[in-house]
Formats: sequence, structure tokens, C-alpha cells
Amino acid sequence: MTTVSDLRIAVICSSNMNRSMEAHAFLAKKGFLVQSYGTGDKVKIPGSAADKPNIYDFGVSYDEIYHDLLNKDKSLYTQNGLLHTLDRNRRIKSHPERFQETDEKFDILITCEERVYDQVVEFMETKTPIENSIVHVINLDIQDNLEEATIGAFLISDMCTKLAQTEDLDNDIEEVLHNFEEKCQRPILHSIVFN
Amino acid sequence: MDFDMNDVSDQDLVTQWINNAAVAHNATEKLEYLHKLQEVLIRKSPQLLQKFLPSILNFTTDKNGDVKKALVGFIEELCKVRESLLPKVMLTLHMLLCDESIAVQKRVIQALITIYRRTLAWMCKASYVTEEMENAWRQLSAIKLEIANMIDSDNDGIRTSSVKFLECVVLLQTYPDQAENNKPNDFSLDDVPLTLKIARRRKLEEEANTLFELLLKFHGSPHISSANLLTCLGVVTNIAKNRAEFMSRVVSAIESLYNNLPPTLTTTQVNSVRKKLKTELSGLIKHPAAYEFVEKLTPMLTDLGYSQQEISKMVPKAEERRKYCKR
Repeated sequence: MTTVSDLRIAVICSSNMNRSMEAHAFLAKKGFLVQSYGTGDKVKIPGSAADKPNIYDFGVSYDEIYHDLLNKDKSLYTQNGLLHTLDRNRRIKSHPERFQETDEKFDILITCEERVYDQVVEFMETKTPIENSIVHVINLDIQDNLEEATIGAFLISDMCTKLAQTEDLDNDIEEVLHNFEEKCQRPILHSIVFN
Repeated sequence: MDFDMNDVSDQDLVTQWINNAAVAHNATEKLEYLHKLQEVLIRKSPQLLQKFLPSILNFTTDKNGDVKKALVGFIEELCKVRESLLPKVMLTLHMLLCDESIAVQKRVIQALITIYRRTLAWMCKASYVTEEMENAWRQLSAIKLEIANMIDSDNDGIRTSSVKFLECVVLLQTYPDQAENNKPNDFSLDDVPLTLKIARRRKLEEEANTLFELLLKFHGSPHISSANLLTCLGVVTNIAKNRAEFMSRVVSAIESLYNNLPPTLTTTQVNSVRKKLKTELSGLIKHPAAYEFVEKLTPMLTDLGYSQQEISKMVPKAEERRKYCKR
């Protein structure tokens, strides 16, 4: 498939499971050059009770997590949609990836909550830039549930389409984000870091 | 013998690729050849660079912006492996900096952050400065002034990159605070030999001061864009944290910004700026050289949401402060 834009985009949430993967799937379908990541120490997903989450290392594949949940409680994880999510995820890539461990370079880093935004900005600022090219970090708050992730992915895709239409991203981004923010009625954070 | 054979074939390949790239109909094809050329000339057979560099530099006049950006990338990589070829590329870099395409100009400024550092370091360790080196330095100095002027460009991205370039020049051309603070590969005025006639320490330091003032002026300009303000704020605090001589001026600049945020910022841009201020100010107050400004920093941090207790925890202890000595 041909790409719609040469902007290199990353969508980042905490566990690279729900919000970032939903947006990853959506953006990839639209033809964007997109990757997704999590910033957490571990991959955390809901478990049998609020205080019993399922926790995995970032190296564990979606497929392995899928089978683990299947063995633990098929009906629960079918009902809450996790098996469906994992099945979707394993069709996109093999395993959750941690943002702090990648060497890939991006033009736009989209985060799904303020804490993740802070971690991304902090991480990028502690690295010594090599290329010195401009990277835009944009935060859009998305609640971590399936329905909000779908809405969030739609909003992110809408925003990326507008960003990709700019002739000069670095010069026009503020205006685009301002207009987008008015339209979607969600506060956006924007910062600049360097590759 | 094997080496020679290999050499000849690489040479043939390079010639062929240069010719193919020159007659290629579209930019994608040209870019492919340029990437191949970069791989062979810079990584595999750098001994061929000297011979083929002039043909590569001919792409300066290409019509396509992406081709010119790839050429800048080539030059940037070249400077990392063959410093002796730096004088051969300065004129090209200067021409590309004046290119009509904003994207090309921006790419040149970004590459020059690396190239400026490399060139200065290279001259400083040379046992003898040739006329060619001197000319290259002169050309690079002209480029530097041009980039400094670009802080007033109409384009936001150019201004951002110019600010980042000036940060690098200020750090290179000032003295570090104390020896043990030096990061590996950190170049500073201490590394400029007193005997280097074409770049005198005093002159370089003076220039760094002027450029720093330029950054502060930009930082305080009333209609600065949110993106530029965020970058500039990060740059001036980074300079203060690495060069304590600038601490007082940076604290004052932030204080005045704090009391008077640009009226052009939208509500959420103000949120992004306040968030950045929170990070940068907490970074500053942890720095031993900022101790004398604690009274100035505290009200801002309190207003940004830190409790008195949190602030007291961030202030370095007496022992840490004693260990730290300013230059």
C-alpha cells in the first residue's frame, strides 16, 4: 500500500496494548507510517479483579499473552474484550514495545495521557540529540477503555491527516493543533524535542 | 591483490551510480543512488571519497529538495569520518543554507550543529593550521552569523533550528564549570589551544556571550510562538545548568517570562508552557549554582503547584554545594 505521508509517527500509551494499538491499527489502515509503544516498566492489563492485574514483560508476545489469558479464564477475557484486543494486536505486530528502548526516529510522537507525555518528553530530553531534527510531542488524553480507545484512534487519525496536509509541519503545526483542539474539545499538550 | 580488485570494482560502481543519478528522471531514483553512494563512499571504501567528492557535490544544483537534503546528510556523515575533507564542503554547505527550500535550509542548520563542533575540534587538535583550514573556518564563521540572523526568520522551524544551533555554539565556546562535571566528548573553550591564532579563546568567548544575549532577547520577545518559546526555554536552562556563569541571567529571564507570558499564546499553549516551566525550574533549583536564586525560584515553583516541602527537598544540601565550585 502506498503511504499517505512521509511523516514518521509513533503513538504511545502505557502498555502498548489498547490505546496506542487501536490508533496504530487505524493509522496503518489509512496509510500512515506508524509505530506504537508503551512507556511503562511492564505491560499491565486488567485481571480478575481491580487489584489483580495481569502483568507481563515487554518482550512477551501478544500471542503468548493471548494464550495465557485463554487458559486463565476464557469467558472473562472474551467478555471484557481483552482476547479480541490481543487477537487484533498480534495481527499488527508480534509484541508490545517499550518506547525507551527503541532507536527509531520519528517526526511526531503522540501520547495518550499526560503521564506518558511527561515520560516521553523527559526521556527525549535526557538523550543527546544526534540528528537534531525537530520532533513534535503531542498529548491527547484518552481514557484506557475499549470505547474511548476507538474514539481516541479516530481523533488521532483526524489530527494526523491534518498534520500531513500541511506544507511545512514545523511552521504550521500550532495553527493545526489550535483548530483541532477547538473542534474536538479536548485539551492538547504540545512540546518540541530533538532526534 | 584482493583489496585492489575490490577497489576497482567499487570505483566502477561509484562512477556508474553517479552517472545514473545524474540522468535519473525522478527524485526517488536519484535518492536511491545517493544512498548507495553514501554507503560505499563513507562506510565501505572511504579512500575513494577524495576523488569522487566533487561529483557528489554537484547535486547542490539539483532541483529537488529531497535530493539536496540527502546531499546534506551525505556531507554530515562525511565530516564524521574524514575531517580532512571539511574544507571541501564548506562552500556547498553555505550555498545549501541559502537554498530556496525551507526544508533544505533547516536540514543544513541541523547538520551544522554536528559539523561546527567537528570543525572546531579538528582545528584545535591539528598540529598546523593550513591556509585551506583557515579559509574553511572563515566560511564556517560566515555561515554561523547567517544562522544567528535566522533567529528572526519568518519560518517557525528555521527559528527553532537556529536556536538549537546557537545553544551548541554557546556551550562550545565557553568554559565548563568544573572538570569533574565534564561529560565524555564534551568540547569546551578549555580544549582550544592558546596557540590557535585563527580562533582566539577570548574572541570565541565574546562571541558566545553575544549569541547568548541574542537567545535571551528571542526568549523575551513578546510575540514568540509557543513552539519557539518551549525550545528556547529548554535551551537557556540547559546552558545555565552547564555554564553557571549564565545562571543569574537565565533566572531573571525566566522570572520576567513568568510574570509576563506572551499575550499571543492560547490557553492550552499557556498550559504547555507552564508545564515546561515546571520541569525546567525544578531542574534549575536542584542545581548547586542556582542556590543563591532559591528565593526567586521558590514563588514560581509554588505557583506551579509544588509544596514548600517538595521545594526544600529539591534544593541541594550544603555538602553538595560545597563540592561544587564555579569557574
